[in-house]
Amino acid sequence: MKLIEALKINQTPSHDGQRRLRIFLLCGFTPLHLQTFLTAHLRNRIAECGPEIKTGLFGDLIGSIERLNASEADVLAVALEWTDLDPRLGIRRLGGWRPQQLADIAASAESAAERIQRALETVSKDITTILSVPTLPLPPAFATRPLQSAPLEQQLHRIAAELAESLAGCPGIRLLSSQKLAEISAPVVRYDIKSDLLTGFPYTLGHASAMGELMAHLIENRSPLKGLITDLDDTLWSGIVGEDGVDGISWNLDDHSQMHGVYQQFLSSLAAAGVLIGVASKNDAGIVAQAFERPDLLLSKEDAFPFEVHWKSKSESIRHILKTWNIAPDATVFIDDSPAEVAEVKAVFPELTCRIFPKNDSAAIWALLHELRDLFGKSVVMQEDLLRMRSIRNAAAWRDESGAPQTPSDEFLRSAEARISFECGRSGADVRAFELVNKTNQFNLNGRRYTEAEWRQFLGDPSAFLLTATYEDKYGALGKVAVLMGTIQAGKVQLRTWVMSCRAFSRRIEHQCLRYLFDELGAERILFEYQPTDRNGPILDLLTSVAGTPLDAPITLSKEHFSAGIPQLFHRVEVNVHA
Amino acid sequence: MRDQDERLIRCFASVFPHLTEEQIERASSDSVGVWDSLSSVTLAAVIQEEFNVEVEPDALPDLDSFRAFRDYLSSR
Repeated sequence: MKLIEALKINQTPSHDGQRRLRIFLLCGFTPLHLQTFLTAHLRNRIAECGPEIKTGLFGDLIGSIERLNASEADVLAVALEWTDLDPRLGIRRLGGWRPQQLADIAASAESAAERIQRALETVSKDITTILSVPTLPLPPAFATRPLQSAPLEQQLHRIAAELAESLAGCPGIRLLSSQKLAEISAPVVRYDIKSDLLTGFPYTLGHASAMGELMAHLIENRSPLKGLITDLDDTLWSGIVGEDGVDGISWNLDDHSQMHGVYQQFLSSLAAAGVLIGVASKNDAGIVAQAFERPDLLLSKEDAFPFEVHWKSKSESIRHILKTWNIAPDATVFIDDSPAEVAEVKAVFPELTCRIFPKNDSAAIWALLHELRDLFGKSVVMQEDLLRMRSIRNAAAWRDESGAPQTPSDEFLRSAEARISFECGRSGADVRAFELVNKTNQFNLNGRRYTEAEWRQFLGDPSAFLLTATYEDKYGALGKVAVLMGTIQAGKVQLRTWVMSCRAFSRRIEHQCLRYLFDELGAERILFEYQPTDRNGPILDLLTSVAGTPLDAPITLSKEHFSAGIPQLFHRVEVNVHA
Repeated sequence: MRDQDERLIRCFASVFPHLTEEQIERASSDSVGVWDSLSSVTLAAVIQEEFNVEVEPDALPDLDSFRAFRDYLSSR
């Protein structure tokens, strides 16, 4: 993006209904064009938000972080440079580069890095933090030729790397990738020495735009896609298994088919991070089953579910897989080497992301894997991610055994040996609860979504509560499946948010949630902040059944009324209350 | 020359969006109230990028009007 374009974007009037996105942009230099580009990239990426950027004191990055009042912003963006570790690593301060001075610079950088780490660890508990570690080159301060790395130079790189490593693991911090930055902003064209001297802004315009763009991506934190459906022949492996035989298909260097193996290990890593992997292949199911017995296959049959292997159309397979996963086409990618199959699927599911597997082009496969990582990458992998595939298999087993979609019998529910664990408190650090609220559509009280700041702000209210339910039965664990948020005052619960994973339907977990509010939280009456959405029919069904009255707003439920109509519950319940 | 003027007007408009074309052609740091040091730096950066020229730091203090920028570009 050019500066003139960024300025024009920033002059576009904000429209009605735009939410404010308050950002602290902190850097040791004057933020100048970085602020302009960050604003413009944010406006391009997050249309529903109007960014408002505040900046800190010039030359005092650490102090600005330490003095920060987290309640005054939604996001903190920090552009750290070498001069923040020691000003003598820049050219605006003349402190000397003699050997003993360099040793002192390294020592002071070490201590500044520790201070930055402590400050960011503290502040990131209260505010989402975006961080970039030094992006500009070190000065020619060392005794070695530039092509030979000096020990002190390596010491400085180690300090920056250790700082980055420790902060990358903090839940509230998103670290900007140096590798990704190098792809769009070459290191040799990042530093503008004239601008640094003249204005105190050290970035070239290209580098400022690249930094603004990547920071905007990290602030946006787009939701990852959920499922990937892959073809098999000439995609997961090289060859046609029905013709070449199980031993004739390959994914190795000798047969020049190594990239199929790379694709397999990539899918396996996606599966391990909770991405759903399904198979859609026009093939003989028996032969495919044999192929998946090959011990050298890097994607195991346990990593993928369901397998749609038959001779029907691919779109029919996709439909069945999406139904089993219960996710929307726009959360899914389909990959097949055949342009005709991809076109057939795309015609039926236009929202699906479809990609042709470029079987004879290793560079294109490599690029495809990078694109897929971008689509499926997530800030943190949670316990529920690891349970997802198993829980979908379990849900399928539950449906088969219980006779769903009919309501399961009391006898079946009793035999399921279900356990529910409730956690109740006001901690805003429950990433899974936040994610569930922001992605659940069907069992959702009103479709309300939260930014991280709104989430923390709501839970900061002393009368607020956050209740989560984790479920497990003899068919397996479903993980954290329900989230309720609201306030309680004088025996009256105002339920602001209630979501439940669709995989947890038909288990009467929702009734246990209501019972918790009455029996454990002490509610006498619940007021539901219900709003109809395009897809929240399931919660309307529940409210209709428990309220027993016409659903005119506002919907309320008394303890007496609930107790009189509650079905029999068979779960073993555990309760953990946090202050 | 007209093409250069139009491009220069676009640069000025990106920094001073409230000015009309006519006002831009007469604009100077004295006549435009919001023309401060930050505007000067931003304007110089936009013009350097748009015209692919390097504005020398020594020249910056004298580049205090539309006419001054136009003359500077013409002399390059």
